[in-house]
Amino acid sequence: METTKVITEQNERKTSAEDTGEIMNVTRECAFQDEDKVEKEEFIFHEETIDLDGDALESEENVTISDNSNNFLDKLNEQMMESVLISDSPNNSEDDVGELGCLQDIVEEMDAREDYRCEQVTGEKDSNILNNNKADMENTPEDDLHSPSEKLSLKEEEISEPTIDEQNVENETAINTQAEDVSKSKPEQASVPYVSKPSPKDESIPVCTIFSQVSSQSPLLIHDGFEPQMVKSPSFGSGIETPGKPPPQIVQPSPSLSKFFADNGSTHSPASDFFDSFTTSSNFISVSNPNAGTAGLEKNVTVPNKAVGGSQDCTSPKFFVGNSESCGVRRSAAALEIPQSPKPFSQMQTVFAGNDDPFATALNMSDLDRRHDAWLPSEETQAILISLSTQQYSTIFIDKDKLTMPGLKFDNIQGDAVRDLMLRFLGEQAAQKRQVLTANSVEQSLEGLKQLISSKNWRAAVDLSGRLLTAHGQGCGKSGQPTSHTTDSLQLWFVRLALLVKLGLFQNAEMEFELFRNLDQPDLYYEYYLHVYPGRKGSMVPFSMRVLHAELPQYVGNPQESLDRLHNMKTVCTKILDHLEKGLAEDGSMINITQSNRQASVQLWRSRLGRVMYSMANCLLMMKDFVLAVDAYRTVINYCPDQEPQLLSGIGRIFLQIGDIKTAEKYFQKVEKVTQNLDGHQHKITVLMNRAFLSLGQNNFSEAHKSYTEILTMDPTNAVANNNAAVCLLYLGKLKDSLRQLEGLVQQDPKHYLHESVLFNLTTMYELESSRSMQKKQALLEAVAVKEGDSFNTQCLKLV
Amino acid sequence: MDVNQPKQEHLLALKVMRLTKPTLFTNIPVTCEDKDLPGDLLNHLMKDDPSTVKGAEMLMLGEMLTLPQNFGNIFLGETFSSYISVHNDSPHLVKDILVKADLQTSSQRLNLSASSATVAELKPDSCIDDVIHHEVKEIGTHILVCAVSYTTQTGEKMYFRKFFKFQVLKPLDVKTKFYNAESDLSSVTDEVFLEAQIQNITTSPMFMEKVSLEPSLMYNVSELNTINKYGESFSTFGTRTYLQPLDTRQYLYCLKPKPEFAEKAGVIKGVTVIGKLDIVWKTNLGERGRLQTSQLQRMAPGYGDVRLSLETIPDTVNLEEPFEITCKITNCSSERTMDLILEMCNTNAIHWCGVSGRQLGKLHPSSSLHLTLTLLSSIQGLQSVSGLRLTDTFLKRTYEYDDIAQVCVVSSKVKAES
Repeated sequence: METTKVITEQNERKTSAEDTGEIMNVTRECAFQDEDKVEKEEFIFHEETIDLDGDALESEENVTISDNSNNFLDKLNEQMMESVLISDSPNNSEDDVGELGCLQDIVEEMDAREDYRCEQVTGEKDSNILNNNKADMENTPEDDLHSPSEKLSLKEEEISEPTIDEQNVENETAINTQAEDVSKSKPEQASVPYVSKPSPKDESIPVCTIFSQVSSQSPLLIHDGFEPQMVKSPSFGSGIETPGKPPPQIVQPSPSLSKFFADNGSTHSPASDFFDSFTTSSNFISVSNPNAGTAGLEKNVTVPNKAVGGSQDCTSPKFFVGNSESCGVRRSAAALEIPQSPKPFSQMQTVFAGNDDPFATALNMSDLDRRHDAWLPSEETQAILISLSTQQYSTIFIDKDKLTMPGLKFDNIQGDAVRDLMLRFLGEQAAQKRQVLTANSVEQSLEGLKQLISSKNWRAAVDLSGRLLTAHGQGCGKSGQPTSHTTDSLQLWFVRLALLVKLGLFQNAEMEFELFRNLDQPDLYYEYYLHVYPGRKGSMVPFSMRVLHAELPQYVGNPQESLDRLHNMKTVCTKILDHLEKGLAEDGSMINITQSNRQASVQLWRSRLGRVMYSMANCLLMMKDFVLAVDAYRTVINYCPDQEPQLLSGIGRIFLQIGDIKTAEKYFQKVEKVTQNLDGHQHKITVLMNRAFLSLGQNNFSEAHKSYTEILTMDPTNAVANNNAAVCLLYLGKLKDSLRQLEGLVQQDPKHYLHESVLFNLTTMYELESSRSMQKKQALLEAVAVKEGDSFNTQCLKLV
Repeated sequence: MDVNQPKQEHLLALKVMRLTKPTLFTNIPVTCEDKDLPGDLLNHLMKDDPSTVKGAEMLMLGEMLTLPQNFGNIFLGETFSSYISVHNDSPHLVKDILVKADLQTSSQRLNLSASSATVAELKPDSCIDDVIHHEVKEIGTHILVCAVSYTTQTGEKMYFRKFFKFQVLKPLDVKTKFYNAESDLSSVTDEVFLEAQIQNITTSPMFMEKVSLEPSLMYNVSELNTINKYGESFSTFGTRTYLQPLDTRQYLYCLKPKPEFAEKAGVIKGVTVIGKLDIVWKTNLGERGRLQTSQLQRMAPGYGDVRLSLETIPDTVNLEEPFEITCKITNCSSERTMDLILEMCNTNAIHWCGVSGRQLGKLHPSSSLHLTLTLLSSIQGLQSVSGLRLTDTFLKRTYEYDDIAQVCVVSSKVKAES
């Protein structure tokens, strides 16, 4: 065999500069690192060939003029124009450049590249010009270079920080009064017989409605902040039990059951084992909350204008949440639970009957709850939960750092940016007309919270959620202190954090979310609170909160963490689906589940898995990993087949964003194929919308405008088409028409068009139109003031 | 805005806005389940939000177009588009308005106005609109100079100018490297491989629409950036059709001299122009850019006047056993007939057999002779054939030929066994 072909790599050190790669004069500084010598040679080469190579990297002329002659002309021009340039640029432009928000210089880039460009063949003359320009530019305001969001976040911090300080001060006093309150109320409570029904006194006072369930806890001693959380077996506490006490209103337990209860804790019968396995052992863990008990809410209800801090002085505890974790007082689960919810007993009954009739399972643990709450804890957490439910004789210590101890990190972000702007631009009188709901003007309850959310007063809603959480003992300064969780407290946290994210206050959300760590501490599972949620298993943390928790890091610049969390969630969802497929319950236990029940569960968990995949795709898109994002969105189609046209269109838009028009077109064609046999307006609109985007990608604004107009003939209220048509008009040089269209929309249908994006476009056009944009923007502000809540992002009005 | 009032009150206001492609509004989906505290509230809010995709509210990338928020970056080869609006802010009629937009670069001044016609009159609160486009061909400072002249009702001639400065940056970093392929039998048609590394030095992803090598007259080019599979050609870059900021891609091209050039001199000598790279890319919503490199030049490998190439060589030989190689010696000079002397110098491993320093006789221009040489290796392993020296007796110049080829030397026992 003969060697026929040998490819030899040129040894660059031996060969001359021309041999190694250089194309553009500007590429030189980035040449291969091991080619220093060559670089030098190249440098010489460049200097020598300036005349030939001066415009080495030039874009091609559309009109084909021969390169040489063109260069030559350039050279001539350079000679001729130079004086003109230097004479006019520095003095005049200084005033004018900064004046317009629309067109700005780029100083950073310039500075960064200066040295680099001085080396270039363009030569010394160029760098002279640069120096002049640099001097100019240092004087020009550069604010507009910062994205509005940056500005926004800065501002938010300014607002929130002082309030935190204030709150801290308030809290200190609050704690003092709290201590007094508790000691004062103790004798009272001690005299009240141990009935789990709220005492008459408690009833007479308006109670924070969400916690009514918890408030029925019997009073216990003061908590003094122990570090390790001690959870004791029932036998330990049985000495102080009051088993003989007849509960006021109960469903009469079956004889066998009462027997069981009588034996409870002291015998280790097979029956009790069985019983334990259904998580309703008499093991006593308190869910009561040591920190709660003083924050008064009723004051706010009756005196709406009073601030939160002021309400701390009320003397009587509205609802009592005891703190038995660390204290010796233990009460029988039976005594506690019977009046509260008779359900467990009937459930136990059926369990003992040992059958699986639908009624029994329905009662055993509400299917809905089981399905929704299912979650797979980490092994460590699982171990703790199991030992909690099975340990009978020994005491279990749970390390403090295994517990979740959330607390508000800031208290009052209530504020109305719209009103502030009105005050600044329209005067006090106008500002007074602004009417929005505040945390004080609604009922201090979940209903009030919902009212605030739906009226788009999310800041007020965050504020109210804070009050409600304070009432639960998780207020400001309570982070790191032992507390207990209920379904409602976690839901409240979820709402609060979700709203913070919606408001774009990601840092704030992150601060508070941090205290929940990975949402896997044992005290976030129902099993931890055997007596409060007997028979209930699974996660107290709502699934949506887990999603939010996973999504949050990507908004604060840590998308990798988001992906990690989402992948964990995906694993759990997949495992749960796996369990269901194998005929097990969600958590892998051998509970019998009816077919329809199982199907509903599979459906729920598939949709949850789909939700996680959606978040993953969104996160990847945010990371600009388009290839993976597209793959992820395609996977989402499997979970949400009904969204196929939208998702395919979305993928098409991703490709448009990258600039890959051809692939975008392919996806848009797929959409047309998919929707071909589907009726309905919506699909036709989707197809037309895609066509318009494709035209945009092909730089054909008039065609795009045509497509949008076509959509509008089908659906005149289509906000997107209206807005996009107006944008196209601007690019076609029809500023006035474009303005007319947008203005008309905002006036006719403020509900739809007072949207950030529309208003941003409108104000931008105002700025372009005339020097009197300010008045017009203020008119918009007035319109906004009437319609929008405190969550409105005033940034888009570009007033400041 | 209205902060810096020009010293002289003008009736007309000039506003300029760069028209980069609009962007798509993204929203942040926050959802909950029916069983959660807010019920369907959050989902409802998302449905009501006009910027979400109806039916797929969780999709982050919406359909709403938003105008560019700032000037952004402009790169060489892209098109600079700008809206120029002259608005009559005054309550008076203004006459004979002339708007002129020029672009001043470091080397030239270009007129960008679509029309240079004077507008007869402009009513209060109406405006003259112009959208200008210009493909940017120079790096560095550019100044858009907008000049407006008009006549007031009183007949006063007015004139003002505004300057808008921007920097044009370099979008790509391109490096090239040549590889020469030597072929044994038809050494006259040497191929050249060109590797081009293209790096995206902008801050946004860049879709490479076209990267092609336009060869010079002397060469034919074949692009080696696709793989043919089942009759379809796939890009070697797979599904990753774009370059992230600071990503680099390698493109490979094979250039063959056209037969008419290849025959002529036997070899292409000295500096040759290979061609130029033509690069077309697209960014957000099809914003297009295009660049060409200058002519790529290549120095042909330095064969000098005499070229020695290998015609045959065994790939495996036995240790300490003679083997033969065939060399081809070509006189590459244009008109000189040469007298050559061949010397054979032994190296560590390679031992030449036969007489060193023998005359090869007259070699005419562009002709060649074949020579069979015998040698043996005293060391096992992959050995390099080196040590040939040709001396041109007229010029007294010696050409050294080392590392001509490699040969695998194995123990004769091994060979025998196998």
